[in-house]
Amino acid sequence: MNSFSLADCSTVEAALSQLKNGAVVKAGGVDLLDRMKNGTDTPDRLVNIRNIRELRGVQATPDGLTLGALTTLAEIADHPTIRAQYTILSDACGRAATPHIRNVATIGGNVLQELQCWYFRSAEFQCIRKGKDQCFAFSGLNQYHAIMDYGGCPSVAPSSGAVALLALNATIELTSAAKGKRTVAIKDFYVQPDANPHRFNVKADDELLTAIHIPKTAPGTRSAYQKYGEKESHDWAIADAGILLEMDGEVCRRAVVTMGAASPVVRRSTEAEAVLTGKPITRDTARAAGQASMTGAMPLSMNGYKVQLFPTAIYRTILLAAGQMERDPSAAG
Amino acid sequence: MSGHQPPHKELPEASSTPATKGITRRGFLKGAGITAAGTALLDGVHGLQQEAHGATTRDVKEYGPEAFPVTLNINGTEHALHVEPRTTLAEALRNGLGMTGTKISCDRGVCSSCTVWLDKMPVNSCMTLAVDAIGHRITTIEGLSTDSEVHPVQAAFVRHDAMQCGFCTPGMVMSCAALIERNPHPTEADVRVAISGNLCRCGTYPKVFAATLDAAGQHASKA
Amino acid sequence: MATHTSHSIPDALLSAAADTTDASMRTATMPIGIPGFTLREEQRTMPASEPPVWPINKDLSYVGKPQERWDGAAKAAGRARYTADVQLPGMLYARFVNSTVPHAKVLSIDTSAAESYPGVKSVHVIEKLLGGAVLRDPALEQSRYPLVRYVGQPIAAVAATTPQAAEDALAKIKVTYETLPFVVDMNLAREQNAPLVFPGAADQAGTAGGGGSASGIPQTGNVHGPAVHKQGDAEQGFKEADVIVDAHYTTQVQTHSALETHGVVADWKPDLLTVYASTQGTASVREELAAYFQLPMSKVRVITEFMGGGFGAKFGAGNPGVVAATLSRKAGAPVRLMLDRQEEHLSVGNRPSSDQRLRIGAKKDGTITAIQLISFGTAGCGTGAGCAGPASNLYKWATLHVEENDVFINAGPAAAFRAPGHPQGAFALEQSIDELAARLNMDSLDLRDRIDENPVRRVQRQIIRDSAIWKSRNPRANADAGPIKRGIGLSQSIWYRHLTMDSAAEVRVHKDGSVEVLSAVQDIGSGIKTVLAQILAEQFGVPPAQVEVKIGDTNYPVGPNSGGSVTTASLTPAVRDAAWQAAQKFLASVAPALGARASDLTLTDGMVRSASGKFQPISFRSAAAKMDTNQVSAQSKRIPDYDPKKYDTYGGVDVAEVAVDTETGRIHVKHVLAVHDCGRPMNPTGVISQINGGVIQGISYTLFEHRLIDPNYGIMVNSNLDKYKIAGSYEVPKIEVQLTESYIGQSSTDASGIGEAAGIISAGAAIANAFYNATGVRIRQLPMTPAVVLAALNQPQPQMEAL
Repeated sequence: MNSFSLADCSTVEAALSQLKNGAVVKAGGVDLLDRMKNGTDTPDRLVNIRNIRELRGVQATPDGLTLGALTTLAEIADHPTIRAQYTILSDACGRAATPHIRNVATIGGNVLQELQCWYFRSAEFQCIRKGKDQCFAFSGLNQYHAIMDYGGCPSVAPSSGAVALLALNATIELTSAAKGKRTVAIKDFYVQPDANPHRFNVKADDELLTAIHIPKTAPGTRSAYQKYGEKESHDWAIADAGILLEMDGEVCRRAVVTMGAASPVVRRSTEAEAVLTGKPITRDTARAAGQASMTGAMPLSMNGYKVQLFPTAIYRTILLAAGQMERDPSAAG
Repeated sequence: MSGHQPPHKELPEASSTPATKGITRRGFLKGAGITAAGTALLDGVHGLQQEAHGATTRDVKEYGPEAFPVTLNINGTEHALHVEPRTTLAEALRNGLGMTGTKISCDRGVCSSCTVWLDKMPVNSCMTLAVDAIGHRITTIEGLSTDSEVHPVQAAFVRHDAMQCGFCTPGMVMSCAALIERNPHPTEADVRVAISGNLCRCGTYPKVFAATLDAAGQHASKA
Repeated sequence: MATHTSHSIPDALLSAAADTTDASMRTATMPIGIPGFTLREEQRTMPASEPPVWPINKDLSYVGKPQERWDGAAKAAGRARYTADVQLPGMLYARFVNSTVPHAKVLSIDTSAAESYPGVKSVHVIEKLLGGAVLRDPALEQSRYPLVRYVGQPIAAVAATTPQAAEDALAKIKVTYETLPFVVDMNLAREQNAPLVFPGAADQAGTAGGGGSASGIPQTGNVHGPAVHKQGDAEQGFKEADVIVDAHYTTQVQTHSALETHGVVADWKPDLLTVYASTQGTASVREELAAYFQLPMSKVRVITEFMGGGFGAKFGAGNPGVVAATLSRKAGAPVRLMLDRQEEHLSVGNRPSSDQRLRIGAKKDGTITAIQLISFGTAGCGTGAGCAGPASNLYKWATLHVEENDVFINAGPAAAFRAPGHPQGAFALEQSIDELAARLNMDSLDLRDRIDENPVRRVQRQIIRDSAIWKSRNPRANADAGPIKRGIGLSQSIWYRHLTMDSAAEVRVHKDGSVEVLSAVQDIGSGIKTVLAQILAEQFGVPPAQVEVKIGDTNYPVGPNSGGSVTTASLTPAVRDAAWQAAQKFLASVAPALGARASDLTLTDGMVRSASGKFQPISFRSAAAKMDTNQVSAQSKRIPDYDPKKYDTYGGVDVAEVAVDTETGRIHVKHVLAVHDCGRPMNPTGVISQINGGVIQGISYTLFEHRLIDPNYGIMVNSNLDKYKIAGSYEVPKIEVQLTESYIGQSSTDASGIGEAAGIISAGAAIANAFYNATGVRIRQLPMTPAVVLAALNQPQPQMEAL
C-alpha cells in the first residue's frame, strides 16, 4: 500500500471540509484497502469517516426507514424491523462477504464499492473504467461477467445491498459543503458504462453519501434475496435475485424483480415483473418469471451458464419470498 | 505503558494563527507531532494547505504520512508504538509489538487468519488500519486466555485436534470464541456461519465444528 | 517397487538401499494383516539389534491410541512461532521485484534509486534463477539476466528496515524488457507454430518433493515428451478385449495455497548461515544453500519450529532462500523474506493440468487386456505433469501403453503437490473403471475385486459393501425425479511405500528421568512431533506430553524431507530403535546401583524390573536417579525394510454421496466415507485429521479451484484467495473415516504414511462417479463448476450399451 496522510473526522461537516484535492473517503475500508493493496488506487490522502457517530444507525421514520451510511452490514442483517419488514435487505446484507467483513463494512461502502472485475482490480490492466479505452474481459476471461446491458464494460454490479435497495425503491442522500443535501433515487444513482465509463455513480467528489431512505412497504409485502456463487462459503455472486411481492391475498398486486450479477448496474426485470403481476404466485408463474428475466440476454464467450442460472435463482427466490420454498441450499449461507 | 499521551493533537484553529492563511505546513507538522525530518516527504502530499473552517477543524485529527506514535489498548493493556496511516492493525501487532499469534495469510480479508476482536467483535485485522483501532479494546489470541484459565475454545481445539499446520488456528479460535461469547448454545450451522470467512487449507473444519460445540457445552452429535 | 511411471518421486526417495551388512541377524514372528479380517503371523529376519516386535495397537499403551497433538496448546494459544513470526535483532524486511510480462529478455535493471531510498540496506539482482526447467544447451540463450518465462518471476529484491520502506523501494527499481511472444494455453502451446517457451530442449531435475522428469526425453516445440512406458503389446490387448472404454478427461491447474506463504529469515554471519525456513525439508534447504553458496554443510543451519502448510511445494531454499541469504550477506543483518499471496500463486509451484485419453480393454469377466494412456499436461515452465501412476499401478493388466507429455507454457513452474499426478490420473482411471463395470453389467465393487490385487483394498471394499452409505445407493443411475438428484460413487487410491534412509534421531535419558528425542525432521502439520513423543512414551512409560520433542533444526540428526508420505514410515523405526538402545544404555547405567546385571533388567510400562526377582519393580524415574552418569543417549538411523520386496503400495477407497442441483449446476457433497490404510496407525487422531483434510482438499480441487491466466496477457487474474476459490466451512460434508489397521512386518514400528493416499487422490473420481449415479451423465472435466456441470447436463448423452 502506498503512503498517505489520513484526516480522521468526527463530524460530517469536518469530513466535507476535507473532500478536495483528490482526497478519498474511507469508511469501513474493506473495498478501498483491497484496491490500495492491489495498487490500483494510490490516494495521497484519505478522509476517514468511520468515526462519525451521526452517520450510524437505523431510524424508523413516518415514511419508512433511514439507514445511516455507516450502519454496518451486520447491524442491518440483524435488525429486527428490517428482518421482519424489509427481509430482502437483511437477506442481502447478511449474505455479503464474510461475517467479519460484515462487522465493519458499511451500507454506504457496500453501495459505493467498485467493480469486482478481475481486470479492474489488477494494477496491470488499464481498462476503460480506469480512464483508458480498452476492455480486457470481452476477449479474455469473462465467466463471472455480465450477460445483459453491458455496453462497453461487462463487469457486474458488485453491491448486493443495492439489489435489495433497488427493489425497495430507496433513495440515496448525498451531502456536500457547497450545496447541502440532495437525494437521488437509487435507480438513478448508478451510471451505465456507456453513459460514462469513468463514473460508477452520480455522487460528486465533494459529496458524501450520508444516508439511505427506504419508503414504507405496502401492506402485504413479502420479499427475499438470494445470492448464488460457486461456493456457499464466501463467494461473489454468479447470479442473484431480489424479489419484492405486494400481495392481495393469493394474488400478486405488484412485483419487483432485481438482479446484480447480470449487468454492470443493478437492474429490474420488468419482463419478469409483468409475468407475476395480477397472478397468484405458483411454481409455474415463478418459473415463467424466471425465464422472462433473461429477455435480451447476450452472454459472453464463457458465461452462457448464467442464462440458465438466473431463471433458477429468480424462480426460487420468488417462491422463498412467497413462503412456498425454504431458503435454497444452493444459495450462499 | 498506560497513560501514554494520545499522539494526535487537534489542528489549531485558523483564528488562533491569524498571521497565516490556512494551516501552514509548519503548523501542521507541529500539530501532528512530527519532527522536521519528515518535511521532505511531506512536500509531495497535497491537501495540507487546507482552508480552516472554523469549528470543523476541531473535529479533524491528522495522521501521517510519516510514522507517528499511538497507543493501542490490547488485551487490557495500553501499548505504545509507532505506525503509519497505512499500517494495518495486523502489521502493528506483528511487527510493531511482536504479537505474532495473529497471522497474515491472504492479506485481503478473505481467510480470517488475522481475526482479532475490536470491542468483542471479530474483525479482519489485515483490513483494519491501526489508526482505526485507537480508542477500541483489541483482543488478540494472546489475550484470550488468562494466566489462570485457558479459554474453553482453546482447550477444546486441543482436545479435538482441531488443527493441523496450525496457521489458521488462532483466527479460527478467535472466530469460534466470539461466537460462543455471543451465543452460548450454538448449533453446528451457527459454527459454519461464524467461520464461513475462515480458510483452513489443511481441511480441519470437521474438528473445528466439534471442538466449538464441545466448548459450548454441547455434543457434536446433536447438531 | 511398483511399475509406476509417475516420475513424481525422485530416485533418492525410492531407493531403500539394502545395506544389511550387520552379521548378527535374527528371525522374529510379526503380526501381519488386518485385525478383525486377515490378521496372521509371518516370520521376518532383522538385525539382532532391533527392538522386540511390537504387538498390534490394542496391546500397546501409547502408540496407536488417540493422542492429543503434542504442540496443540501452543498452536491454539498463538504461541507457535512460524517463520513469518521470527523477529531477530536488527532484522530487515525484504520483498521481490517480479516480472510483469510472461516472456521477455531483461535488457536492464536500474536499482540506483532503490539503493538510495531511505531505509534500504541491500538490493540484489537475480542472475541465477532457481526452479523450472533449464536448457540442455545453455548456449541457446545468451543473456545477462535470466530469461523471463512467466509473470511473477522474481527479478530482484530489496531489503529495508521496515516492510513499508521495502515496498516503497520496489517501485523505484526500473526493469526494461524486450518482450517475446508467449503462450499460456496448453492446447495452443502444442500447436506447430506456437511461441516457444524454451528455444531448445529443456529438463527439470526432480526435487525432494517430486516434480521434474526423467532426462533424455524427446522434445518437439513446447512438448517435452513422450515419456513412453510399454509392457506387452497393448494393441493386441485391445484386439482381445470384449469391451473397450475410451474417454477423454481434462483437469485444471491447482495452486498449493498453503496459508503460510513461502519464506525465510536468513542470518548470514561469517561463521554460520542460519536460516529459519517455512519448509517441508530442513535437510533440503541446507543442501541447496550449501551447494548454491559453496559452503560446507556444517556452516549452514536450518530451523523450522512450526510451518504453515506446504503440500509439496516447500522443498529446498528456492529463490526466496538464496535471495534472502544474499541480501543478508550484503547488508550484514538478518533478512526476512516472506512471499505475498500473489507471489505464492505465481512463482512457487502448482499442480499441473492434464489432458488424458484413456482406453481400457477388458474381457467379459472384467480381466483387463490393455490400458493405454496418452497424457498431456502443463507444469508451466517446468516439468512433472505425468499422471500415469494410477493407470499403471492400481489394477492388474495384461498389457500397458503409457505416453506422458509435458507441455511448456509461460507460467510458473509446477511443484510436487500432494500425491503428484495421482488426483489427475485417478479422476480418469476410476471413472473409466466404473464405466467399464456398467458396460460389463457388473457391480463396480465386484469388478474391482476381480482386477485389484491389493489385499488391504479388498478388505476396504468389504467395509464399504457393509456400510450404511453404500447400502443406501441406488444402483440405477438418474433415479431421482426432482431437480436435486442424489448419487453415490466411489474411487480407489494408490500410493507407494517410499522411504528416506537419511532418517535419524537421537534419544536422551537424563538422570532426572526426563527423556527427549532430537531429529532435524520438521512437523508440517501432520503431527510427527506427537508420534515421536508416543514412541518414547511407549518405551519409557512416560506420558507423551512429558516427552521433550526437539525437531526442525539441522543441528539435530538428519531427518527426512516430508514429502511423498515418507516421514512416519521412514523416521519412526529410527526413533524407536534409538529409544530402545537408549533404554538399554539406561539399564546398564542403573544396574550397578541396583545391584543387578544389566542383562537381568527390563524396562516395561514405566517400571524397571529384575527378571530374577532381585528387587521389587521400581519406577523409571526413581531408577533414573540411580544412573551412574548424568545422561545416556543413543542415535539411530533408518534401516531398510525387513522384506523390501513385499507390500510396496497401499491406498484406500473413498465413497462420496452428492446432491446435484441440476438447475443451478451446484454439486453438494453431503457425506464421505473414507476407508484408508497407513500401516500401523501411530496416532489415529492425527491420521483422521489428515484424511479429513485430504478429502476436503480433494473436494476443493474437484469443485472450485482453478488457476486462471488471461490468454492475451499471460497474467493470472485470480491470484488471491477470494477469486481463487478454496472450500470453506459450508463445503465440508459429513466425513466418516475408517482406518484399516494393517500390519506388513516391515520395521520396528511397521508404520506407513497417509498424506498422499488420504482423499485427495480419489475425491475427484468419487464425486464424478456419484454425479453419474445421480444424473446418468459423465462429467470428465475439472473443476466441476456450475458452468461445467450445466454444460454436461445439457449435452445429449450417448446411451451406453451393456454387453
